[in-house]
Amino acid sequence: MSGLLEVRGLSKRFGGLVATDALDLAVGAGEVHALIGPNGAGKTTVIGQLAGELRPDGGSIWLDGADITRLAPPARVRAGLTRSFQVTQVLMAASALANVALVEQVRQGHSFRFWRPASGDARLEAPARVMLARVGLEARAATPAEDLSHGERRQLELAMALATRPRLLLLDEPMAGLGAAESAAMTALLAGLKGEVAILLVEHDMDAVFALADRVTVLLDGRAIASGPPAAIRADPAVRDAYLGTP
Amino acid sequence: MVETPRQVVVLLASFAVMAGLPAIAAAAGRPDFVTLGSQVCIMAIAAAGLDLLMGRTGLPSFGQAAWFGLGGYTVAILAAHAGDGSLPGWVTGAWFAWPAAILVPAVLALGIGALCLRTTGISFIMITLAFAQMFFFLFVALKAYGGDDGLSMRRRNALPFIGPRDDVGFYYVCLAALVLVLLVLRRVWRSRLGVVLDGIRQNERRMLAIGLNPFPYKLAAFVLAASLGGLAGALHVNLFRFASPDLLHWTQSGELMVMVVLGGLGSLWGAVFGAAALVLLHVFLAQWTEHWMIVLGPILVAVVLLARRGVWGALGGR
Repeated sequence: MSGLLEVRGLSKRFGGLVATDALDLAVGAGEVHALIGPNGAGKTTVIGQLAGELRPDGGSIWLDGADITRLAPPARVRAGLTRSFQVTQVLMAASALANVALVEQVRQGHSFRFWRPASGDARLEAPARVMLARVGLEARAATPAEDLSHGERRQLELAMALATRPRLLLLDEPMAGLGAAESAAMTALLAGLKGEVAILLVEHDMDAVFALADRVTVLLDGRAIASGPPAAIRADPAVRDAYLGTP
Repeated sequence: MVETPRQVVVLLASFAVMAGLPAIAAAAGRPDFVTLGSQVCIMAIAAAGLDLLMGRTGLPSFGQAAWFGLGGYTVAILAAHAGDGSLPGWVTGAWFAWPAAILVPAVLALGIGALCLRTTGISFIMITLAFAQMFFFLFVALKAYGGDDGLSMRRRNALPFIGPRDDVGFYYVCLAALVLVLLVLRRVWRSRLGVVLDGIRQNERRMLAIGLNPFPYKLAAFVLAASLGGLAGALHVNLFRFASPDLLHWTQSGELMVMVVLGGLGSLWGAVFGAAALVLLHVFLAQWTEHWMIVLGPILVAVVLLARRGVWGALGGR
């Protein structure tokens, strides 16, 4: 029991389809662990189970020595495990600042206050501005999320996840839909988080994966077919065959 | 929610008309305008409560008439018992009867809301309707309180400085209640609670993912809406000195929803204008023809199609 996140024998079945097949996974504190594999390998199903949105059929999930297998999603966030979404889930009508301030409000836990206006509250907006600056969105603080570009929304999505002050971030394809320059910027942003927060990264952009990951696990049909440091994974013939292809 | 200058002007003008309504009614020789004004204020209170639930939190309750009727029956039943001596006379004082008419629906809504909020979408609409129908048939069957004949109230709840037959005084009580409710709700709208409710409406999945359990907040909105429904029902029964199961009929729930949509979902002030529009259209169209709904229907369709953000959004001019 050394890792921050320990997954043991995780299993999930949808009818006859085995989506997650006795998966073992460990993420150490401050480590970036990439989960890769072809479409339909079950990566998003794993994220869903880790975040608590899907109930596993078998196995257990441990965060820092505590069994969180049966915790509801909000309780997992409070325990330090936050996910981001492949399809951006931000409050479109609210400004970038208001989106992050809302996360700050939930984290501080005073959401039944019904008298003072939430907007303009420095206790919420000051830390939210710091988070926006972190992802490079401070200039767009006042812009409604619906008017942000796709790339900016991906940054906002990350700022919201970071604002929960997680110990482990589950990033579900943070580069989804980004252009080459934006992907590079996002990779640099994530590299800056290294050591501060552990990351389980699901990603198809192999440049990003090999630039960021300390360890890589390859998923095929719900099973881990290989796990190890990036160089070893790149050289693994089974992985090349299943996913990476021959260069 | 920040009002545009045009909306502020409209609000001030509307308030001036409402404040001067009894004088206008006297000058026009139409004392019935005062009753109409009271009706508008009362329905606006119920509609504003529903807008908190339906417009701000995204929970379309189709059972709001239950709380309206329960509040109304609470004051009527207290008055009936005080009348036959089985309860002391002070229970008909507004200071007691009105808070009771708020608390009875609130407590019931706490339990019923906890059940209804296990569902979402169409199921939520249907289960709130089902509970409201349950209360409707309960009062139809309750012969001790008049059954489907209803229950009259001999006199209005006693208020300081205002006589039981003082229609103008009662109108100002309704107007003051409405203004108070709106000022409080406007603060709620913009508060931390209001922001969380809005977040739940926009993207509940995201709220879960940032660590918020939405249930207690949804329940709070449900209970607040029920409380305001109860207050409105109590005022309504005071106005007409009569309670009947019609207060709880599903068409009443539907009319409240129409008011909120007509005015502009989630805009708070819109609920007031929606309530005023529906009450006035109802009365004036009904003078023309008993098939007034034939006229109301197309008006509603036009507003929904042409002004997506309702009457209030169209007034904003953006």
